[in-house]
Amino acid sequence: MIRHLFKLIWNRKRSNFLLITEIFFCFLVLFAVLSLIVYNVRNYNKPLGFEHENVWLLTMRPDTDSTALNRQTLEQIIQRAKGFQEIEHVALTNSNAPFAFSQMNNDLSYGQKKIMADEYLVQDDFDKVMRMQVSHGRWFGEQDNASHHYPIVINKVLQQQLFEGEDPIGKLLPRNDSSSYQVVGVVDHYRPSSEYTAEEPGFFNRIHLPGNKNDFYGELLIRVKPGTGVEFEEKMVKEFSGIGKGWTMEVATLEKMRQNKAKMAKVPMIALAIICGFLILNVALGLFGVLWYNISRRNGEIGLRRALGASANQVYRQFIGEVLVLATFGLVLGVAFAVQFPMLQVFEVESAVYFIALGIAVGLIYLLAIGCAFYPSRQAAAIHPAMALHEE
Amino acid sequence: MITLKNIEKVYQTKTIETVALHNVNLHIPKGEFVSVMGPSGCGKSTLLNIMGLLDEPTNGIVEIDGKPISRYRDKELAHIRNQKIGFVFQSYHLINDLSVLDNVELPLLYRSGTSASETRHLALTALEKVGLSARTKHYPTQLSGGQRQRVAIARALIGQPELILADEPTGNLDSVMGEEIMNILLTLNRQDGTTIVMVTHDENMAQKTERLIRFFDGQQVSDAKTTAYDFQQV
Repeated sequence: MIRHLFKLIWNRKRSNFLLITEIFFCFLVLFAVLSLIVYNVRNYNKPLGFEHENVWLLTMRPDTDSTALNRQTLEQIIQRAKGFQEIEHVALTNSNAPFAFSQMNNDLSYGQKKIMADEYLVQDDFDKVMRMQVSHGRWFGEQDNASHHYPIVINKVLQQQLFEGEDPIGKLLPRNDSSSYQVVGVVDHYRPSSEYTAEEPGFFNRIHLPGNKNDFYGELLIRVKPGTGVEFEEKMVKEFSGIGKGWTMEVATLEKMRQNKAKMAKVPMIALAIICGFLILNVALGLFGVLWYNISRRNGEIGLRRALGASANQVYRQFIGEVLVLATFGLVLGVAFAVQFPMLQVFEVESAVYFIALGIAVGLIYLLAIGCAFYPSRQAAAIHPAMALHEE
Repeated sequence: MITLKNIEKVYQTKTIETVALHNVNLHIPKGEFVSVMGPSGCGKSTLLNIMGLLDEPTNGIVEIDGKPISRYRDKELAHIRNQKIGFVFQSYHLINDLSVLDNVELPLLYRSGTSASETRHLALTALEKVGLSARTKHYPTQLSGGQRQRVAIARALIGQPELILADEPTGNLDSVMGEEIMNILLTLNRQDGTTIVMVTHDENMAQKTERLIRFFDGQQVSDAKTTAYDFQQV
């Protein structure tokens, strides 16, 4: 029967051409949208590598250009922050704090390999503020004060890309000047950009205030005790403003920043899904209409098949089967096009994302085809054979 | 082979009731070639549909090989149609998108246990019987009316049915083509012993069959053996 259906649809390819084309384009759009959704969902399910709950980001902007004065004020603010009972840990960072709209990167090279990696400047307590775990080696500490090299902690993605199978601990990586970075630790994950973005190679560079006197860091990450709210925030900002007179201070929770970032990923995804939904609805209506028309046009054939020994159920299955074969023709073209994406590593997305999206898209197209064919096929099965033959 | 007892068929709409068949009693024994004649609208095709299990009588009993089929479900009726009955229609009812060979193979599509190669062999044999071996790859639209009807007969033959129901098989053909088709049916009946019930408007064709039943206004008005049947040369 399957061979018969393929033969029938193939012989009717001219009249089915538009429908096959419509299924082909519907599949492509579905594949594109699903790839985006699968990509985001897979990223969402991966660990961020840190805990952002109860962490606030205090952004400070001094009103003078005197670095020495500003540094003095900054250290006073940090000291005051550590004094609050509501605050567990604080750590300075640069503008690319978790979920911030800012990025900083740097080239790291080892042997012949050169990798562009995200760079995060952080103070020693950053691991405590963000509750990060070092999986290999160690985090920054007092022992780094005397080091001739700049200690860095790298993430696993960078380790795999730069060192492949080698143990990275202790390895020296040249900086732009004559000095070097030295890898002291590895963290499994660190995805500060958004829950929906893939993990990029990255490394932490140490902020050691006594060591770099000319730099100013305006972002302070604060881990507060659970349940600490707005009242404390007001009190804290008021006190800090008293220390940094004329400074602009702004507090945002990482949770709020996470939500903003998530919105940026969700909005295009939802918009595309809505557009795709309308397209599918259009295709479904088209498919339904064409099937309905085909069945009314093929009354004689239905009557004939019944006369030749087809039961009502077999007629029903035949029409469902025809639509599935029709969908298969459209899908064969679509899949041939879609598999180019994982094969050519388009957008440098993992192949699994494309294959999952492809599988779901194929399944959805078949479901759509069955859904659209269900009622017209039942109508076809219900046609009275004698009447159908008589009408013909 | 097939028996009809007190068959009545009434078509009912909201406003009108039409009696298509009234008190029809018939017995068609195995191997007989019966023709049915009567004016248009007298119930001939309805009779054929009931005999072919495509329609149910309003009242009465249809028996196939002595078994009443009134309680049979759709699947069982379809099975009987597929195994025992072959249909030939005035307008051929071929599927234009399928080749001659594929059209002939259609009944075996609904018969389990027949392999593709066996089906092909049976289809070629059936086409050979009707003299169309050279047209297997043609499509119905590339054939003449007579050729199309021969394809339809080959399709009816492929399942080796015991009964062929032919509804005006020569109705759309000229006299020469009609003769050809009639000869094929006569050969089938005499050589293979296939039971044939043929509806026709053509008195000459009817006289070539073994038995002629006449209908008028849904009622059987005569049922007699023909005289010419025994003397014909096929």
